[in-house]
Amino acid sequence: MPDSGFPWPIETTRLDNGLRVVVSEDRTAPAVAVNLWYDVGSRHEPAGQTGFAHLFEHLMFEGSVNVAKTEHMKLIQGAGGSLNATTNPDRTNYFETVPAEHLELALWLEADRMGGLVPALTQETLDNQRDVVKNERRQRYENVPYGDAWLRLLPLLYPPGHPYHHATIGSMADLNAADLATFQAFHSTYYAPNNAVLTVVGDTTAAEVFALADKYFGGLAPRPDIPAAPDGRTVPATGRPAVETVTADVPAPRVYLAHRTHPFGDPGYDVTTVLATVLGSGRGSRLYQRLADGERIAQPDLVGAYGVDLAHAPAPLIATATARPGVTAERLRDGLAEVVDELATVPVTAAELDRAKALLSTMWWRQMSTVDGRADTLGRYATQFGDPATAADRLPGWLAVTADQIAEQAAELFGADDRVILTYLPEETS
Amino acid sequence: MTLIATRPGPGAARAYRFPQVVRRTVAGGQVVAAHLPGQNLAVALLLLDGGAGREPVGKEGLGAVLAKALEEGTAQRDATAYALAIEALGTELVSGLDWDSFQVSVQVPVGRLSAAVELMAEAVRTPRLDPADVLRVRDDEATALRMDWANPGPRADAVLRADLFGAEHRWGRPLYGDPESVAALEPDDITVFHSEWFIRPGTLVVAGDLDRIDLDALGAAAFAGTGGGPVDRGGPIEVPLADRRRIILVDRPGSVQSTLRLGHPSPHRAHPDHVPMTLAGTVLGGAFTSRLNHLIREVRGYTYGIRGDFASSRRFGRFAVSSGVQTAVTAPALVESVGEVSRTRLTGVTEDELEVARSWRAGQLSVELQSPRAIASALTTLVVHDLPDDYHARLREALLAATVEEVSAAAAAHLHPEALTLVVEGDAAVIRDELVAADLGEVVDHA
Repeated sequence: MPDSGFPWPIETTRLDNGLRVVVSEDRTAPAVAVNLWYDVGSRHEPAGQTGFAHLFEHLMFEGSVNVAKTEHMKLIQGAGGSLNATTNPDRTNYFETVPAEHLELALWLEADRMGGLVPALTQETLDNQRDVVKNERRQRYENVPYGDAWLRLLPLLYPPGHPYHHATIGSMADLNAADLATFQAFHSTYYAPNNAVLTVVGDTTAAEVFALADKYFGGLAPRPDIPAAPDGRTVPATGRPAVETVTADVPAPRVYLAHRTHPFGDPGYDVTTVLATVLGSGRGSRLYQRLADGERIAQPDLVGAYGVDLAHAPAPLIATATARPGVTAERLRDGLAEVVDELATVPVTAAELDRAKALLSTMWWRQMSTVDGRADTLGRYATQFGDPATAADRLPGWLAVTADQIAEQAAELFGADDRVILTYLPEETS
Repeated sequence: MTLIATRPGPGAARAYRFPQVVRRTVAGGQVVAAHLPGQNLAVALLLLDGGAGREPVGKEGLGAVLAKALEEGTAQRDATAYALAIEALGTELVSGLDWDSFQVSVQVPVGRLSAAVELMAEAVRTPRLDPADVLRVRDDEATALRMDWANPGPRADAVLRADLFGAEHRWGRPLYGDPESVAALEPDDITVFHSEWFIRPGTLVVAGDLDRIDLDALGAAAFAGTGGGPVDRGGPIEVPLADRRRIILVDRPGSVQSTLRLGHPSPHRAHPDHVPMTLAGTVLGGAFTSRLNHLIREVRGYTYGIRGDFASSRRFGRFAVSSGVQTAVTAPALVESVGEVSRTRLTGVTEDELEVARSWRAGQLSVELQSPRAIASALTTLVVHDLPDDYHARLREALLAATVEEVSAAAAAHLHPEALTLVVEGDAAVIRDELVAADLGEVVDHA
């Protein structure tokens, strides 16, 4: 097993305007991944403006000073590229992978929308993309059974005013109220070169990328006073569990059990990651063995546990199970809680630990097997921890976790008073 | 603000190359491998002629249940021991099923590949298939399908497929079966299907750093104890077009969106128009910049996304458009979608649109074919469709050489807006009158 999770070169620079540039050369395939992390996410949204960071992400594809509406997609796809963007509570990322000869085009497009979006932003574009986002909300959260679980878990985990209290997709009411001036201000505030990391991985050189970055981004003005999101690192204990039961049009009872752990990047969160894998990843996991196979109260395809990798507050660990026919929600809830409780009392065996670490190693190398996976990883570590090279430490960090640390974390954090339980019950059908 | 106004042109194009392909006969089976030097991760995939097309009518879901049952213990160890053994290598057993093949694969750091292939072969060739376990897996799979069918989409897909191909044929029924067909399977059905299709050698596909992989040893492990030769796979099936367009309404009370599935039969995979058809489909609905997505999402704001494409297997194909649109705009979204299909058939594509489509499809070959998983998938295409090692290089050339005339001719020949079946899964009480008034065709309620 290698002792580094990132055995490729990394070169970095910072332009005079504060834009950080990260390059990792790899000549294996004639392709380059271009990735921008902006340090703005839904955690920056004040009350009444939920969903704005994500709606803004949509607007970034709708044209800028030198790029006509819809031209961005057309130029990247016309170059043979793949592209997308995502928004989460922590950040917004934009990325494209293109045949290597189109690197300069990708950088030009990214610079134009970083520095020249506001003059091109129209009411018509805002109205159209607001409709698209509302359709996204219907499709992903409202029109599918259990689709709103994440929207319900967040306010149970984080109190009002906490930056993770509300979901990134936002509320329909806030989206309806969004006005053009707010979005223009949003761009001016957060889409500044000193609030972003540009990462390029693939068939190029650091010298080439640094020169092109300076050419296209170098003239953009920094913003000196970018407001920070509210500090969420301390979440006061309430002294009682947060419990919600929803009766809805769902095909079977389902339970989510969640706890706050540590921020992604802390050594404690490496423990959480390994713990979650022991608990709920694969057929050899405790949840599968106990609930799907042993007691046979949970549906085998729908039992699992995972951490949500958020870096600016104690990140959630979520365990979930869905009842087999004839099994009540109470029984399922008790079974799920029992397995989670035992993390503190029944020591993780060497075989369980090795299994979890082997699965995590494969997951890591799968992320590293493409230039776009590597670019996003370097952008994350540069943005959140100030140094892309720290990406190399994650896999060794997981591999160093011990059984004792897992038991200690479970004892410390997974008490009944800190527990969130969300239960879905099917509507009566008669 | 200082921006550079001039859009840069491309640099010198760099040569595209698909990884070197190695083919070998080992222990009565075929090994097809791609060399990925320096890659830490490797994928091995066992490709069997046991796709859904081999399932008898009335036994839909056999392959899906068998896939799960393979992990319920082997001749050598029980289910728990098997799970711990294979996951200790860092992989799960991943199975997949399409009309033409059944696939099982492992993905591990390269040093663990031979141990993973041995375990994969153990499950595929010598599963325990204890009747009590098979019954439980069957019931779980039926429950899982019921869960899935509670989502919008699966019912609409099944209704479209039955209407296009006829529910009396296996290919007119859902790929993975439906909750009822799975619930009716018996342990014997599973055992017989296994003995018929899962102990023939098949093909082992490998993607990884071949300098660190012993293909002969992998082949010997994968094909140990197998027997029986290939079985005739049948020729293309002639599927007639509908004589009129109609709407089939699938009720989903309270739905805030309507799920749209529009389709008609289209040619099989080996049809000579495959490349121009693919490009016509790309211009119409295959890319974010396509006509359908531009109009229905970007201009109208009716949906989060809409796509349309030609898809094909060895024996048959279909053209389909799929989307979810907000309930209130169901009728106009349908009218405008059919309108784009008609316009593309009648007036073809423009050079501007085709330039994007052909560059995108060609460029995607270098952009998307990176991970061992993606390369293994590309190799399975070579095997299933009897294509040569340089297929991907030739495909790239064919895509780049396609002309407006060829692609427009393919659109005219293979798009049939007047024969479309329009399946709408949504709140029937709210949308029925509007659908009737839209005058796209007879509106039929799905039973």
